[in-house]
Amino acid sequence: MKSDSLKQHLGFALFGLLMGLTLAATGFTDFAKVHAMFTFHSFTLLAVFVGALVLNGVGFAVLARGKKIPQKPFSKGLVPGSVLFGVGWAITGACPAVVLAQLGQAQFAAVFTLGGILTGVWVYRRLAAGGLNLDTGVCGEEA
Amino acid sequence: MMTVWPWWSGSLALSVLTLGYWAAFKRPLGVSGSWARIVMWRNDRAVGRAEAPFRSNPQLLKDALMAATVAHFGEQAVQEALAARRSTGGAPQTAAAREPAKLAARIPWTAHLTFLVMIAVGGLLTSALSSGIHPQFDLGALHKQLFGAGFGNWMTLFVGGGLVGFGTQLAGGCTSGHGLSGCSRLVPSSLAAIGIAFGTATAVSLLVSFTGASAL
Repeated sequence: MKSDSLKQHLGFALFGLLMGLTLAATGFTDFAKVHAMFTFHSFTLLAVFVGALVLNGVGFAVLARGKKIPQKPFSKGLVPGSVLFGVGWAITGACPAVVLAQLGQAQFAAVFTLGGILTGVWVYRRLAAGGLNLDTGVCGEEA
Repeated sequence: MMTVWPWWSGSLALSVLTLGYWAAFKRPLGVSGSWARIVMWRNDRAVGRAEAPFRSNPQLLKDALMAATVAHFGEQAVQEALAARRSTGGAPQTAAAREPAKLAARIPWTAHLTFLVMIAVGGLLTSALSSGIHPQFDLGALHKQLFGAGFGNWMTLFVGGGLVGFGTQLAGGCTSGHGLSGCSRLVPSSLAAIGIAFGTATAVSLLVSFTGASAL
């Protein structure tokens, strides 16, 4: 049981490190590059993302043959939530992983983005726990 | 902040990450889910404590499930169902049903915290290995030009971060969960979520770059 927990922490540490390295090294942490993607001035980041989707598509098809991977439901909050996320992404240049890699790169203004994300998640969870029936089962979370 | 890797190696690394995470932990990668676990860490700890006795003793879980069944259907109904099964032979039990009841493996919230902290370490390492670490208190010249400098800029980031946090929870995922894990398997809800997020971000970015942030 103890060694299970150690393995989980080490595994998560490894994947986190890989994610931070990749996001920073490809330019996803650079606001100017993200803005250039959204205004059609550069397609590099889009190529990184779409390339990863294609590789994942092939990878899942091979690795997960015959296995069932949970699919996210089409919840009521999906459309409004994605719109809000899109607005936030455009003005901060950050999605929930990128903000941390930005901080690691000593872009300290991202502290405010981080504070905003923590507040936003907390407010949502309070409202959901308070009976506002919007809960969707967020990614990675066990039901 | 220069780009150190060509785009395809970034794709490869993100793909190794998504597939490796799924293979290692039997659940799809999703960063907004990690945020939820950390923000609600008290909840997480309480659930962990409540589950502990059932984890160490599977019989306890089986007894609790039977007690809940009796409470729901009434003792008589349960006795009758059991008697009926005994007398007729009943539906044969599957091998899985004869196994002791077991709870699914649970990942502690501290592992999710480790994950997020190491994303920052990854960013630090990239800077240290490439252009060096140059502390800055804005997100670069372009962001300052679009959103102003100083306190106003920081408040914009705070509000924007709030939208990212609230929005990804409401939508049930972000660029990793809906994007890397969902879109690659052509899950309809994930394709919609990422399409809408990208579309909105594009519209806002174009609006801001043509008219300035005052348009917001």
